[in-house]
Amino acid sequence: MSDHDHDHDHDHAPLTVDEKPGYFDVMETAVRELLIERKLFGADEIRRQIEVLDSRTPALGAKVVARAWTDPDFKSRLLENGRTGCEELGITFYDDTQLIVLENTPDVHNLIVCTLCSCYPRPVLGLPPDWYKLKPYRARAVYEPRAVLEEFGTSIPHEVEIRVSDSTAIIRYLVLPMRPEGTEHLNEAQLADLVTRDAMIGVIQVEYKKEAA
Amino acid sequence: MVSENLVRKLPNDIGGDEAGKIERVEHELLPWEKRCHALADVLDFHKIINTEEKRRGVESLGAEMVGKLSYYERWIVAFANILFQKGILTPGELAMKMSEVEGRFSDVPNAHHS
Repeated sequence: MSDHDHDHDHDHAPLTVDEKPGYFDVMETAVRELLIERKLFGADEIRRQIEVLDSRTPALGAKVVARAWTDPDFKSRLLENGRTGCEELGITFYDDTQLIVLENTPDVHNLIVCTLCSCYPRPVLGLPPDWYKLKPYRARAVYEPRAVLEEFGTSIPHEVEIRVSDSTAIIRYLVLPMRPEGTEHLNEAQLADLVTRDAMIGVIQVEYKKEAA
Repeated sequence: MVSENLVRKLPNDIGGDEAGKIERVEHELLPWEKRCHALADVLDFHKIINTEEKRRGVESLGAEMVGKLSYYERWIVAFANILFQKGILTPGELAMKMSEVEGRFSDVPNAHHS
């Protein structure tokens, strides 16, 4: 992971390979090289975008959540406009998507899904896990969210409303989980450490165990 | 009834369908999958193929390919088809380029099928 300082690009076959690339791997290389030859974009753009993708992890979303928990003014701006809220923290959006941040409260639990495909708040969470892109989650989250949550070990009391938000190509969602009790003494960075990807998808809640602190 | 359902619900439209238990699978992207993802983003930035065109391109592969190809396999095949439809590439050009790329690995043993 850390030996990225050598300056080769990844556009040609690596010097040593132990097996031939598969059909679709070859197709990707061929499509990309043809488009670069036609000057529709540069090889450096692909390389740069791979670096952007590698730089996006749920730690960014966790930072946003921890700030919202500790700064009420920031939280209201974030709920007003998720994208500009994240941009305040230096998180750039490399695409045209809008972000809606959904706040969990004692009365409402939010869950995000993309029933048609795999839309996901990638600028703040990175790439989605496979299960998010596969049929069981996409099909079932919208009609039996409580059963889906149970499979993640999450039990939401019946009096709490569950809201499922279905993402689109241009509108993405991020769940702002509830801050767990007993965390008043934690600072922002310690709070961010508690926040996981799955909590920002809404399939689990943020937990705090004193003995783990 | 069966044919009517084919019209009502395209392959991607699965929200509300019955489906099995959620297996919490994840995998680290293969190098070519990550390149494919970066390619998708760059195609979008340059307004060559946007996200919705990509989704529709995957859907128009039909139910069998949508069901049997992996996620990024669907993407790259959809990109090729969309680029043919837009007249940016031709199938012949892609076939020739793919042979050329394969030729770079002619001294490498075949991948074992897992």
